[in-house]
Amino acid sequence: MNPILEVKNLSVVYESSGFNALQAVDHVSFALEAGEFVGLVGESGSGKSTLGLAITRLQKPPARTNGGQIFFRGKDIRELDAETLRQQRQGGFAMVLQSGMNALNPVRTIRNHFIDIFRAHGHVGKSGWDARQIELMEKVGLPKETLARFPGELSGGMRQRVSIALALSLEPQLMVFDEPTTALDVLVQQAIMDTIKSLQKSEGFTAVLISHDLGVVLESTQRVLVMHEGRIVEDAPSRDILENPQDEYTRMLLSHYADPRAEVVELPGFPDRAGRDTGGAARTAGATARDGRSSDSAIVVDHVSKVYPPPRRGEQAVTAVDDVSFTLEPGQSLALVGASGSGKSTIAKLITGIEKPTAGTVEFGRLDVAQLGRRQIRELHKNVQMIFQDPYSALNPLHTVEYTLTRPVVNFGGLRGPAARKRVLELLETVGLAPVEQFAAKLPHQLSGGQRQRVVIARALASNPQVLIADEPVSMLDVSLRAGVLALLEDLRAQWGVSMLYITHDLLSARLVTENIMVLNGGRVVERGNTAQVLQHPEDEYTIRLLDAVPNPARARGAAV
Amino acid sequence: MTTTQNLTSATEAAIKPPRRFAFITRSAATLWANWKSRLGLIILACFILVAIFAPLLAPYGASQDGFERNADASPEHWFGTTAAGEDVLSQLIYGSQISVAVGFIAGLLSTIVAMVIGLSWGYIRGFGADVINFIVNLFLVIPGLPLMIVIAAYLQNGGLVMIVAVIVITGWAWGARVLRAQTQTLRSRDFVTAARFSGEPAWRIVFKEILPNMTSIIAGGFFGAATSAILAEAGLEFLGLGDSSIVSWGTILYWAQNSNALLTGQWILLFAPGLCIALLALSLTLINFGVDAISNPRLREGKSR
Repeated sequence: MNPILEVKNLSVVYESSGFNALQAVDHVSFALEAGEFVGLVGESGSGKSTLGLAITRLQKPPARTNGGQIFFRGKDIRELDAETLRQQRQGGFAMVLQSGMNALNPVRTIRNHFIDIFRAHGHVGKSGWDARQIELMEKVGLPKETLARFPGELSGGMRQRVSIALALSLEPQLMVFDEPTTALDVLVQQAIMDTIKSLQKSEGFTAVLISHDLGVVLESTQRVLVMHEGRIVEDAPSRDILENPQDEYTRMLLSHYADPRAEVVELPGFPDRAGRDTGGAARTAGATARDGRSSDSAIVVDHVSKVYPPPRRGEQAVTAVDDVSFTLEPGQSLALVGASGSGKSTIAKLITGIEKPTAGTVEFGRLDVAQLGRRQIRELHKNVQMIFQDPYSALNPLHTVEYTLTRPVVNFGGLRGPAARKRVLELLETVGLAPVEQFAAKLPHQLSGGQRQRVVIARALASNPQVLIADEPVSMLDVSLRAGVLALLEDLRAQWGVSMLYITHDLLSARLVTENIMVLNGGRVVERGNTAQVLQHPEDEYTIRLLDAVPNPARARGAAV
Repeated sequence: MTTTQNLTSATEAAIKPPRRFAFITRSAATLWANWKSRLGLIILACFILVAIFAPLLAPYGASQDGFERNADASPEHWFGTTAAGEDVLSQLIYGSQISVAVGFIAGLLSTIVAMVIGLSWGYIRGFGADVINFIVNLFLVIPGLPLMIVIAAYLQNGGLVMIVAVIVITGWAWGARVLRAQTQTLRSRDFVTAARFSGEPAWRIVFKEILPNMTSIIAGGFFGAATSAILAEAGLEFLGLGDSSIVSWGTILYWAQNSNALLTGQWILLFAPGLCIALLALSLTLINFGVDAISNPRLREGKSR
């Protein structure tokens, strides 16, 4: 049987004047059989998206193919002229992009999006438009009323479903999904993946799923290509990848998955937590004894609610946080878990004084956070610091690491000149960025994501705070970097006695770095308790759903057996 | 310790200057790589050189009269003479000084005003922002030219300073609005929140964190403001609202109109300064294409292959 797509020795290079050329895809060869569902896995910068764009002829300058051939049904698609390329989009190859939000035109209804495609290709008679649209919407699990809506009125998951329906409307033989679920919430992510899987079976198209998440890929595909630094390092059936990975890199990726429900959870560089839990008391004692801090205060959140005014006239007010109470003791770590919109980030804003609660009080020591003036807010920020989710936007691209770290040292520590510099270098050492002098002089774009996040952590530590609020600190990082950053947070807590509020949707990381957990749903606490206990024996139905949505290669094995 | 410190300062000295330098050279290279902005830079350079070396280039003095009046073009007077018997070419060359200087000074001043107001306006919230909003809207809805004429009429015979003041007063509002919009998008970035968590005062956040991230927009705004300043200066002079005794392109036009140059067939008196004004404004607009390419790397790349 002839392969539907055959890639031979393909190379793609990024060329931009004034910069060194970057070989993103390097002599890659593979073939896809018709009807196959193949995963393409790699970390950021591995060239997987570049490859996906190349095989659908969607690449744009400065990317350029500089070698190799791409045969689609025996024809080299690199030779196609623009018009042939356009015509073959019907019944040829299609791509679903990462963000459904940006793929749809905000001022046109969903119906208009379909009509554009029908017009451009003329493959559906005008009388058949309505029926075809409804049929497509049903395929992706959306009600037909959605057709009359504008993209802005739909949720992220619905928009991604619409993008899939649009790609399907041309009956492609090859579909490339580029991180179709990455921008979405865990629960939605799972539902979309289910839809893609069942569509692939029922429609019989060949599918390529590009993802950074080996767990997601192994759960759904038959064969996996692992990409690393522009090369395909492993190409094997999913089962083999899971049970008998050949390449070092694949093994490394796999080692970073674990089941948060397991008795013992271990990750590379991260020994099992259960063994150390007995040390909790000792750690707290050590924490109070550390020097350089006058007093320790707990954060007390007492029956707090936050209601935002209705977004549009005539709509309901939005209750982001609904009667939440908890206490974060000094030296303690607490996970705040929930899907997006569950109110977890709002709680962080309430604690740091960025927002004021509608009801209830937030207290830090003797400070009532809601009543603070500007100067007292500064005092609060000296003690309560924040670690941001996205290390790419949390550092000013134009300032060196040294400048970024010097500011809080000067503002809170009152140090100047050489003393401030010494402190900055100490901080860099603490977060493991050595040689410190070199890192101090660097600009953010010269650092990797993991290094950036370490700088962000160093900045949060600069004022010697008592409380760290970590808002999804690893969700934007590659799997292989996550463990390192998490281990750093855990060490800091143990050594410095900092208490930590760890906000996440990732139950595995919550299991690793926190003692206690609170599960939020729709602004309410639905479950709380010891992290290991709650995750092993979840009681609330919502917690169980969250746990089920965690992608887990090991479970794929269980299902396959 | 001392050795390490020396080492670090040495490495820093080695690292930092090339970085600044690299940024400037890269921007310059981008401007030069774009054919539109290259053309603009060449035209602008010509005008600036002419303005600087006017005393050397001009065959006669700026207001040296006593030549034959209303003469046509001749080897002695390439562009002829005015009704007052002055050499038109010399007047054009000297006039470039005023246009270039007023354009750049007024453009710079109105950019600075726009920057200070726009950035603060974008950063603050609440009552203060509403007050600024009201004032800026006021300046935006008042038609520019009539306002200029009214102000210029009040500040009569203030000379160049008056012209610059009028242009700045009427020209900052639009830039302030653009910069405010950009500030508002930047202020919601994490690094701005992070700066607040670092205990930075508001002015530092605005001018040290946000401002450097919109350099290219400000540069674009400056060239735009300079263009409209040059046009406004010529317009006011032409209407006789400036000091009509100085020699600038606007006053050449004013006197040419007064002496009915078109009726006497001396179209060059109107055409030459008009062309100069248009070319200077064009050069700045062309440069702005290049500035766009600096702020938006997508425009830098070639056509899709």
